[in-house]
Amino acid sequence: MKLSPEIYKEFEEIVGPRYISQDPGVLETYRCMPAQSSAHYGPYWDHMTPTPMAVILPGCTEEVQGIVRLCNKYKIKFKAGGSFWGAMAYIGSDYSIQLDMRRMRKIEIDVKNQLAIIDPYVNGAMLQSEAMKYGFSCNIPGVGCSSSIVASASGWGGVGPSTVCSGGHKENLCALEWVLPNGELLRTGTAGSGDGWFCGEGPGPSTRAFLTASMGVCGEMGVVTKMAMRLYPWPGPAVLPSTGTVPAYKAALPDNFRCYTVCFPSWDMWAKALTMCYDSDLVYLGHRQFNMFGRDLKGAMIRILTDPDKQLCDLEELLSDPEVKRQTEEMKLEFQIVLAGYTKRDMELKEAILQEILKECDAWLSSMMLEPDIENWALLYLIRLGHKNLNYVMCGSYEGNFGLNPNLWVSASYMEEAAAFKKQWEDTHTSIVKNGGDSEMGSFSFTGGGGAVGWEFFVDFDAYDKDSVTGACDFIDETEKWMAERHLGGDMGRSNKYLRQPNGYDWPQEKHNELFSKVPQPHVFAYQWKVREAINPNLLGGSYYRTLDPEMIPENKR
Amino acid sequence: MALKDFLPQMYRCSSCANCKFIPFDKVQSARFSENCPSICYFSFHSYAARGRYQLAKALVEERLEFTDNIVDVIHNCTSCGACDVACKVCRYNLDVLDHNLELKAYAVEKGHAYPRQKEMIGSLKSEQTMIPGMKKKDRAGWADGLKAKDLSKEKAEVAFFAGCKYSYDPELQKIARADLELLLKCGVDAGLLGAADNCCAGRAYQMGFFDDFRDRAEKNIRAFEAAGVKTIVTPCSDCYHAFKRLYAKLGMDIKVMHFVEYLESLINDGRIKFTKQLPMTVTYHDPCHLGRLGEPYIPWEGKDKKILNQVLVYEPRKPRYNGAYGIYDAPRNILRSIPGLRLAEMERIREYSWCCGAGGGISETNPDFSSWTAGERITEALSTGAEAIVTACPWCESNLRSSQAEDGRKLPVFDIAELVLKAL
Ligand SMILES: Cc1cc2nc3c(=O)[nH]c(=O)nc-3n(C[C@H](O)[C@H](O)[C@H](O)COP(=O)(O)OP(=O)(O)OC[C@H]3O[C@@H](n4cnc5c(N)ncnc54)[C@H](O)[C@@H]3O)c2cc1C
Ligand code: SF4
Ligand code: SF4
Repeated sequence: MKLSPEIYKEFEEIVGPRYISQDPGVLETYRCMPAQSSAHYGPYWDHMTPTPMAVILPGCTEEVQGIVRLCNKYKIKFKAGGSFWGAMAYIGSDYSIQLDMRRMRKIEIDVKNQLAIIDPYVNGAMLQSEAMKYGFSCNIPGVGCSSSIVASASGWGGVGPSTVCSGGHKENLCALEWVLPNGELLRTGTAGSGDGWFCGEGPGPSTRAFLTASMGVCGEMGVVTKMAMRLYPWPGPAVLPSTGTVPAYKAALPDNFRCYTVCFPSWDMWAKALTMCYDSDLVYLGHRQFNMFGRDLKGAMIRILTDPDKQLCDLEELLSDPEVKRQTEEMKLEFQIVLAGYTKRDMELKEAILQEILKECDAWLSSMMLEPDIENWALLYLIRLGHKNLNYVMCGSYEGNFGLNPNLWVSASYMEEAAAFKKQWEDTHTSIVKNGGDSEMGSFSFTGGGGAVGWEFFVDFDAYDKDSVTGACDFIDETEKWMAERHLGGDMGRSNKYLRQPNGYDWPQEKHNELFSKVPQPHVFAYQWKVREAINPNLLGGSYYRTLDPEMIPENKR
Repeated sequence: MALKDFLPQMYRCSSCANCKFIPFDKVQSARFSENCPSICYFSFHSYAARGRYQLAKALVEERLEFTDNIVDVIHNCTSCGACDVACKVCRYNLDVLDHNLELKAYAVEKGHAYPRQKEMIGSLKSEQTMIPGMKKKDRAGWADGLKAKDLSKEKAEVAFFAGCKYSYDPELQKIARADLELLLKCGVDAGLLGAADNCCAGRAYQMGFFDDFRDRAEKNIRAFEAAGVKTIVTPCSDCYHAFKRLYAKLGMDIKVMHFVEYLESLINDGRIKFTKQLPMTVTYHDPCHLGRLGEPYIPWEGKDKKILNQVLVYEPRKPRYNGAYGIYDAPRNILRSIPGLRLAEMERIREYSWCCGAGGGISETNPDFSSWTAGERITEALSTGAEAIVTACPWCESNLRSSQAEDGRKLPVFDIAELVLKAL
């Protein structure tokens, strides 16, 4: 479907001919394969998200507003995207246009208020590098520093290794500027009362929860054009020192930074150590990161990644190396932490606390991860989060599943059983990578200070191999059942299954009504319906915003 | 490989967008965080390596027909390889630059080339140069009067190969001349190729004219062999890349050195001694084809296989070109050895250097894009406080000289040999 020449002209007048296209070649590159980056609703072979009618690159808030107003005039659906990594950034219906925010990229550091006012295209690396010049850093979600901060904060999650110390994006979000889906411009918090950007709640309208919800609104409710994000202290140099031969870059940081891989004899001790870390405010960054390569493979993979001359073809030889085997076994149950001392005494205190935790939890430090080159590599990896495409290193695609999130102790008690379940599939099917069952990866906490954990098991598959894709999909179906049988909540690999159909299109409202009328709290979705009615009367978003027609709330729950 | 052979890569590219940025570990500022001239200038996703995979996938799967715009997307790539390096920070089974080039070749094969490109290829065939308007008979004029051996008549240790740009560009000819004079003065047994001195055709390859490249390259290799060439020394980074990587792949077994490598060895051997101070601050621009694309060719024949159910590996080990072993230190060592000279580095250097904009024939086919790209580099160079930008490739030099920074400022541009000569 194409825009009529008249409508195209109207859009063109807003952004100029250089920043709009309906060339089929350009449009084709704004589509997503659910066999590749489905982001927790697939993977599905042989489908793609729909082709937009046009792609538009606005350069400022006024242009965004002009575009959205035109969309309302002609009832055209629209969606904004930042890096376009996951499926949620792509449109889900035919009569739609795609906004690419890459022209909007300003950063202003407000040193006094310890925050940054940023445009939508600013990603983690851009913001962190600018913030470091002033002695700050920013929260970078686990997706890595290639992702837009605005997209992560408004459109999705925004949690990662730094969150335990810095807080997640939603906690750090101050005032923002937002073109509502009806074309109105809303400045929230202090930005709404002309008092600057330092507070999201006011004086001024406090509506950020409408936008962010619990997981963000995935670009279905207008376009955020500016956002103030709280920064946190960075006790390191103004430029992140990065040395070494590509790709084995490493950071040579001063002594007030250390990266440790803490290893445990049991999941109980693992969980206990985590709570001790929370209680003592110990860590600057915390993640179980490298286990994403799998319990059996992580040692060998780290050897490959820290040696510029090694490749995946060295994996088998490394796996049979007794020393690598020993080192891998040594860090079977582990997590990574970065300690950062603000003063010499602070660092000494932190080291002492760590020793206490090791003693209390019968824990030890991985010797391999203390090798200087490896420690410096891990430091850089965790601080910048610039290697996140390693998620796909094995064969080109992965999906995170299980997602044992309810409670640290409950989750920990199921970890081995989940790992064994996955291992059995790896041993009996060829569709997913055989990496030892436990390939759980996740950050210390979804919130600042600790508490809510977010763990996913990496299921690596080949997006080019139909059997691998469908096999991975089958496996996730199985784990969904496994989770349900144990009353552990939804499987992470299926957490978006009602947001987009397998064929890449939006679900119709009837499907949302059918589903959300059955949930324990249907009012949540009925309320979201009302929000949508108020600010998105022409329904220009898609089905990533979960709504229930209030008429469909079951009688017994009204 | 044909374009369809890249189909697995098109599926396995994970849409991570890393190919639009320098390796993130190296980002020092938002301003200079990006790496791909093509998407930076044209803005749409299609112009980045990821977009190129998606575009090619639709073409191969016959869901898309060529449009003028698609042809523009495909050809407006400087073949600089910055995307390739960035992608390979994490990925071991994608060859992004090879794919970009194959996509160009696919377009050319289907008859979708620019008239200007055809002119360049026409000139390659008729006058053995890809600079249209230049004549074969004038090629050696830059060396008139120099006492270099003629390799068609006698043997020499080193064949000095100036390349088209140095041979024909009146502003740059003096540099080639000075280079050769320096070699001769240092007692190097150097000569010129005479009739066998023809365009390396590397740009034909960079533009996707693979057949024309191969044709010229094979003729050149035969001519080099007939002249008994042992070592080729060239001050042109494009020629260096063509000989070192592309000709080697075609079976040429002749030692290839860039002039900076040779120069460094002459300084180390004490055959070049500096007598003058050069009190200035300069910054060094890594030419793509000397730096990240300057790694030597390693023969490989093999296939891919899966281990551990789905992990994709190559058997035997496949050479991995990711810029790790390009030529970065020789030019820097030379600059550091010049008395009084201070080297101020830009943010984007070595394997993650920003392209000058001349690659892929873009300086001929899209001068605005090419000049904008060079202007970005000058802006970055100025941000270091340098008084001049130094490089080791005539295409970079010419492009940087004719362009200006975003604020309209210009910066003196030197070939590294010019500075060496000043300090002798
Ligand atoms: C490999 C991978 C790993 C991930 N790991 C994590 C993780 O550990 N923690 C976590 O929190 N998340 C994670 N995610 C999800 C990730 O945070 C989101 O995908 C993130 O928002 C991506 O940012 P982006 O620049 O890629 O945005 P895009 O993918 O381009 O967009 C993300 C969403 O934001 C919307 N959006 C973009 N710009 C705007 C705007 N200006 N206004 C309104 N809406 C907008 C888009 O429509 C889309 O719905 C992961 C995703 C992937 C692909
Ligand atoms: S080409 Fe490489 S860097 Fe670019 S999106 Fe694909 S996987 Fe990522
Ligand atoms: S080769 Fe250079 S110009 Fe071409 S897509 Fe890659 S980074 Fe961009």
